[in-house]
Amino acid sequence: MDMKIIYNFCHCSLIVGVLFAVFAFESCTKLVEVDVPTDRIVDRNVYTNDETAIAVLNGIYINMSQPGTFTGTRSISLFAGLSADELALYDGIGGVHLNYYQNELSVTDGTGSEHWTPLYSYVFKCNAAIEGLQSATSLNPAVRQQLLGEAKFLRAFQYFYLVTMFGDVPIVLSTDYSVNERLARSPKEVVFKQIIADLEEAKSLLSTNYLDRSLQPYTGETERVRPTRWAAAALLARAYLYKGDYANAETQADLVINNAAMYDLTPINDVFLKNSLEAIWQLQPVTFGHNTEDGFVFVLPDSGPGIDENKGFYISNELLNNFEMGDQRKETGNWINNVTVDGITYYYPYKYKISELDAPVSEYLMVLRLGELYLIRAEARAQLNNISGAQGDLNRIRTRAGLPNINAIDKVSLLSAILHERQVELFTEWGHRWLDLKRTGNVDKVMSIVTPLKANGNIWRSFQQWYPLPFSDIQKGPNLVQNAGY
Amino acid sequence: MLLVNGLCCRLFNAFLLSLICLGSNAQAGERHLTIAGVEMPLKVVFRAIKKQTGFSVMYNTAITGINQDEKVTVDFKATPLNEVLTHLFKGKSLEWTYNDDVIIIYKKEERLPVKSYGDSTVTPLLLTGRVTDANGGALSGVTIQVRGTEQGTVTDANGRFELAKVPNGELLVISSVGFETRYLTVSGRSLLVQLNMQVSALDETVVIAYGTTTKRMLVGNISTVKGDDIARQPVNNPLFALQGRVPGMFITQTSGVPGGDVKVQIQGQNSITNGNDPLYVVDGVPFPAQLVRLGSLTQGVNGGSPLRLINPADIASIDILKDADATAIYGSRAANGAVLITTKKGMVGGLKWNINLLHGWSEVARKVKMLDTRQYLDMRYEAYKNDGIDWTEPSRAADDLKVWDTTRYTDWQEALIGNAAQYTNVNVSVSGGSPTSQYIIGGTWHREGTVLPGDFDDNKASVHFSLSGTSYNRKFSIQLSGNYMLDRNSLPGFDATPTAIRLEPNAPSIYNSDMTLNWAPDQSGRSTWDNPLAEYTLQKNKNNVNNLISNMLVGFKPTEEIEIRCSAGYINTQTTNVLTVPLAAVRPEERPFAFRSADYGNNSFNSWIIEPQILYKKSIGKGQFDGLIGGSIQQTSDNSSITTGIGHSNDLLLEDIKAATSLSVRSSSSLYKYNALFGRLNYNWDSRYIVNVTARRDGSSRFGPKNRFHNFGSIGFAWIFSEYDFVKRKLNMVSFGKLRGSYGITGNDQIGDYGYLSTYFPTYADIPYQGAAGLSVGSLPNPYLQWEKTRKWQMGLDLGFFKDRLLLNATYANNRSSNQIIEYGLPTIAGYSSIARNFPATVQNSSWEFTVGTVNLKRRLEWTSSINLTIPRNKLIAFPGIEESSYANTLIIGQPLGIIRRPHFLGLDPKTGLYQIADSHGDPTSRPVYPDDFTALINTLPKFYGGMQNNLSYKGIQVNFLFQFVKQRGLKSLYYSAGRFGPGRFARGQSNQPATVLDRWQKEGDKQPIQRYSTTSLSPGFATGSDAGYADASFMRLKTLSASWDLPDKWLQKIHLQNCSFYVQGQNLLTITGYKGLDPENQSIETLPPLRTITVGINTIF
Repeated sequence: MDMKIIYNFCHCSLIVGVLFAVFAFESCTKLVEVDVPTDRIVDRNVYTNDETAIAVLNGIYINMSQPGTFTGTRSISLFAGLSADELALYDGIGGVHLNYYQNELSVTDGTGSEHWTPLYSYVFKCNAAIEGLQSATSLNPAVRQQLLGEAKFLRAFQYFYLVTMFGDVPIVLSTDYSVNERLARSPKEVVFKQIIADLEEAKSLLSTNYLDRSLQPYTGETERVRPTRWAAAALLARAYLYKGDYANAETQADLVINNAAMYDLTPINDVFLKNSLEAIWQLQPVTFGHNTEDGFVFVLPDSGPGIDENKGFYISNELLNNFEMGDQRKETGNWINNVTVDGITYYYPYKYKISELDAPVSEYLMVLRLGELYLIRAEARAQLNNISGAQGDLNRIRTRAGLPNINAIDKVSLLSAILHERQVELFTEWGHRWLDLKRTGNVDKVMSIVTPLKANGNIWRSFQQWYPLPFSDIQKGPNLVQNAGY
Repeated sequence: MLLVNGLCCRLFNAFLLSLICLGSNAQAGERHLTIAGVEMPLKVVFRAIKKQTGFSVMYNTAITGINQDEKVTVDFKATPLNEVLTHLFKGKSLEWTYNDDVIIIYKKEERLPVKSYGDSTVTPLLLTGRVTDANGGALSGVTIQVRGTEQGTVTDANGRFELAKVPNGELLVISSVGFETRYLTVSGRSLLVQLNMQVSALDETVVIAYGTTTKRMLVGNISTVKGDDIARQPVNNPLFALQGRVPGMFITQTSGVPGGDVKVQIQGQNSITNGNDPLYVVDGVPFPAQLVRLGSLTQGVNGGSPLRLINPADIASIDILKDADATAIYGSRAANGAVLITTKKGMVGGLKWNINLLHGWSEVARKVKMLDTRQYLDMRYEAYKNDGIDWTEPSRAADDLKVWDTTRYTDWQEALIGNAAQYTNVNVSVSGGSPTSQYIIGGTWHREGTVLPGDFDDNKASVHFSLSGTSYNRKFSIQLSGNYMLDRNSLPGFDATPTAIRLEPNAPSIYNSDMTLNWAPDQSGRSTWDNPLAEYTLQKNKNNVNNLISNMLVGFKPTEEIEIRCSAGYINTQTTNVLTVPLAAVRPEERPFAFRSADYGNNSFNSWIIEPQILYKKSIGKGQFDGLIGGSIQQTSDNSSITTGIGHSNDLLLEDIKAATSLSVRSSSSLYKYNALFGRLNYNWDSRYIVNVTARRDGSSRFGPKNRFHNFGSIGFAWIFSEYDFVKRKLNMVSFGKLRGSYGITGNDQIGDYGYLSTYFPTYADIPYQGAAGLSVGSLPNPYLQWEKTRKWQMGLDLGFFKDRLLLNATYANNRSSNQIIEYGLPTIAGYSSIARNFPATVQNSSWEFTVGTVNLKRRLEWTSSINLTIPRNKLIAFPGIEESSYANTLIIGQPLGIIRRPHFLGLDPKTGLYQIADSHGDPTSRPVYPDDFTALINTLPKFYGGMQNNLSYKGIQVNFLFQFVKQRGLKSLYYSAGRFGPGRFARGQSNQPATVLDRWQKEGDKQPIQRYSTTSLSPGFATGSDAGYADASFMRLKTLSASWDLPDKWLQKIHLQNCSFYVQGQNLLTITGYKGLDPENQSIETLPPLRTITVGINTIF
């Protein structure tokens, strides 16, 4: 080989060598280090400080109080009310509301699964909070205990609506996506078991007092906007009732009802006021100029229902005709109000009375209230053949509504009276009617009459009592199966 | 480089000789001339020659001694040119040659002589100069002519020339076969001229990462689109000018709204979700592929493609880098290819003004046929009849039948998207320079209106400059360039297209008689419709963007072999928006329940990059060695906030943030740091073998601390076999032949910042919960994020025939992505619908790319064509554990990525008049079960696509046109219904149906394709959810056509212009397709289709 070529070859190798030497050098680590972001906070800094840990749960309450799954034009109260026999939809409103109203939910247009994703998103937030709080070491123990209780309570609350709307659902208890993406649906009984376990734990963790923003008992006016031991007991009573464990349902209801120092039935027009004596847990409105979003949706303007989906719902004839004569709840201006347009009178829910903007906030969104507890205990007692006890509880509610005592004396007619009382007491609250029809086995009987009325001759098919899962979740969850029929 | 020059010279000489041979053939010399006259000046004869034969006579006065005023007596009748010249130059010992359209006269035996400066024949006004190619190599045989005269000369072997008696201010035309003609004004006594080669498309400059090369020497797969081709198209985003031109690059315009979004894929879909964007580099500075979206403010159209912030008129060329060899030096960011945009630079020459004025009109090219009022009403009555409903009942809110005037008819497509949008562009630039410093400064004003009714527009003003300087000894160089654009956009944030399609034909008039908006109230005062103009015209949407892209390149050459340079770039994009919701836009009866509100947003995007580099060049043996090492340090920060104000006291105060009574703010900020070391070794042996090795080590802050660094690299080779004597002798029609191949690994880090961190965001509430703040967990963190690897290999063959008049190119590319970073889909039970993670599957994109370039005619009529075709194929190769993954039901190994599974459509049940779907056994069902019954597989990726371009020019008239073609399946957006509800239902503003629904089932036994009308059937359901929802969406489109006419030289001279041309340009002129909707490209009735634009303009250079 020519010397020159060898020389050049060496020259060349030298450069290659230098290149690779430079490449091997790793001093540039510093150049790709970024500070922690300024618009967010890294999780390890969240659960080290009482204030930020409290803020995590506040974040959940804020979201729950904003229009969405729990209130507003797409809430559980509204959709379940449309599905059942309590709400009517103004003719001409299309879209998702019509699908719910006509019990014609469809996987292809994605209707029916509106609440699935938000509910699991809340579950994720609860799981993240539980994981963070459980591993937290520097929080005030009392704060940590209360927050852990709140997170477990909230998780149970979310699962209650998942299992009652969708049937069998996957139980997600961690934030590990690699586990969660493969979960299959658990039978309803197992889900209820989980709900009860969470609530029992929450009950032992949560404070007996309503707490303020620093998780200290209130010194001034008490706001009932954070869950307490009583909220856990109230939801537990409901869960036991749904599960058919009536003895426990009665025991839990007793706990709350017997706390007379904190709770009492109020006159009907005071029930939904903020911090009402009947409130076990309320959500504080968070939107500027608004009272409750429910009031905003249900109270109709003088022009009556309109094409706007904010103002297109009113009380169905089925519900209206089910009120007994003299029921104060039906009286104009109490829990029902009306507006007449073109000779047609529209009756609308008036539990929350304020829809005006900028009115002082005097109503909070009621989540759990004493009235329901009486009805739970009445039903549990009836099931346990405590007829007089059941009558007594039922009559508390009827008396308040200005109605005479019940004359049903056997279990069957009493249960039927309780179902009726729940319909007229709890209407447009949290989908109670829809869930009651399903859990008491009356759904096919009632809906096979109601659906054709709502949907112009469509027939009711039993599978329609369960809402469909989102199509994309069926696609992406290898072990998720759709509800039968969809 | 010397070798390259040598080669170019040789090639050029060969080419020139061949032309001379061609020219000297009998044809040219035997053209006939007829002229007669006594004592006629020679120049008159020359003029006659020019006029009758097309040949200009060219000579060096000093050398040939020709005096154009010499009187001659001639009498020729159809005499061959050779005879005429022999007669004219009798006894003068001159010879001549025919060169293209020039007769060059020179002294016998003293061909192209050089005059020394001391020569006595030199006149005081002697002009001397030298002509070189772009690389500084001497060009011989270049003709230099004083325009408008016969005076001229040609350069000698050293590229030198002399011209006597040329006064200052004269215009020189410097031309040579195969080079772009240049015009220069004489000032001073010497000239240095560079000509850009046009010898063969093979010698055009190609911009590569950190350098340039030529197509001939290119190892990688790079396509270049020249500024001329971009300038010929009336487009507001340079990406649209690439449609149909670049093999392997598929561009979809998803909206026709100015500044709308563009989807770009290079060599296929790598990623199942996002992150398919290529790397954009503007003058060496990486440019964001996506603009940050500011909450509600960009829900409309203003997010768009950031490339709209680059003025197409300022672009000199766009180079698309596709394979590993071309892209691996960009390492982690080039898995989807790279798009290098080079802006215009100044050129050596006198001060030159270029003024371009253009005005035009854009419109929706195609309307769809919807029901008219009669048909619509009949549909409604029939639907009620089918359902057995009496629509006259008071509870039936059939406002379309009860309240609205049933005799009214409005063509809403005409009313809402039927306007001709005005389109104006004014561009002025000044350029020039000496051999040591060049400059260009340009300004553009661009205004685009809208097809919506109302007075909105998008105004863009931009300034571009580039300054470059070199020291006399050429050791130091500096280049500074900048682009600054102000965009003032007031176009509505909503797209009127879906309303225009679906609004009922008898819907009320937009205005009342007093010109207030009509809400068509019923008796109780309730509005019966949403006046479409309330949204489009009353809500103000102002979007201001200031965008700066700047770049500086400093170079130092201590020796001939080494160059040290540093490039530094800075990008700053400032965006502010206001979106107002005045009370006047709300239905009157709802105003008591509504607040006025406005969103005020601002975003600041800053990015800087510094890239020091060392280049080394050396001849080793018969070869040339080129080395490059460099480093890259980049930092990008992005800060935005959006403030929502409500409770203003008056609609007129909405744009004023302090008039709001309540404010809420959301903000975000992020920081991205990136650095790299890179190198490239290139060895070119005797212009026959080229080897190219690149390597890069990247670090990115987007990954967790353990995975921040990664190595990428490639190796490429090219074998130019046409340089072999064997080929030259035996296959002489093959003028060029190259085989090339490359293999390498690139990556992608197109994920959000901080994806590895688990973070909490503040939860905003107008009224804090219990007066305290809230926090929400941000996203699913993934601390295990790793670099993606895309392995690319490809082979290509480039062939030139008939002296490169026919150029063929075929490339096979095979890219496999593994460990891709994607937004991995999750069932929402996991809390989120996706997580940024490495995708365990391997995806293969293979494609065949072909291009054919031909010079069909090269006479007075010049005609060149180019055709490109891409046949892509996408395939999921492997996916370990697919059954247990969230893609178990959506992906199929061996099938393309993102294949769509649908149940099969069976048509109508003639008994019930309802649509039927097949179950897995093919039996009809109304409720197909997922996934078993979803048996039809639909692939919406294109089967093949490409373009055909033709350029014709004849005597100053130029015509260019480009057809784009795509073969694909797409979403049938308008057939079974208007997409939302089945025919017969009334939902305000959404009930009209395409005329195709007339073909419906009416009674038992009917076999019509459309389901029975009904007021309750909620949706077309599985008809659109089945395979019937997809149809052929192939199209062939006359994408662009431009015609221009240059004023003849004679006229130009009189008005003292270098050039002046008038032109007409059109975009999206004609579409041939079987597709039924508005447009097969965006396949949507929810967004405005790509518009047809026609412009007229004038371009002046002086």
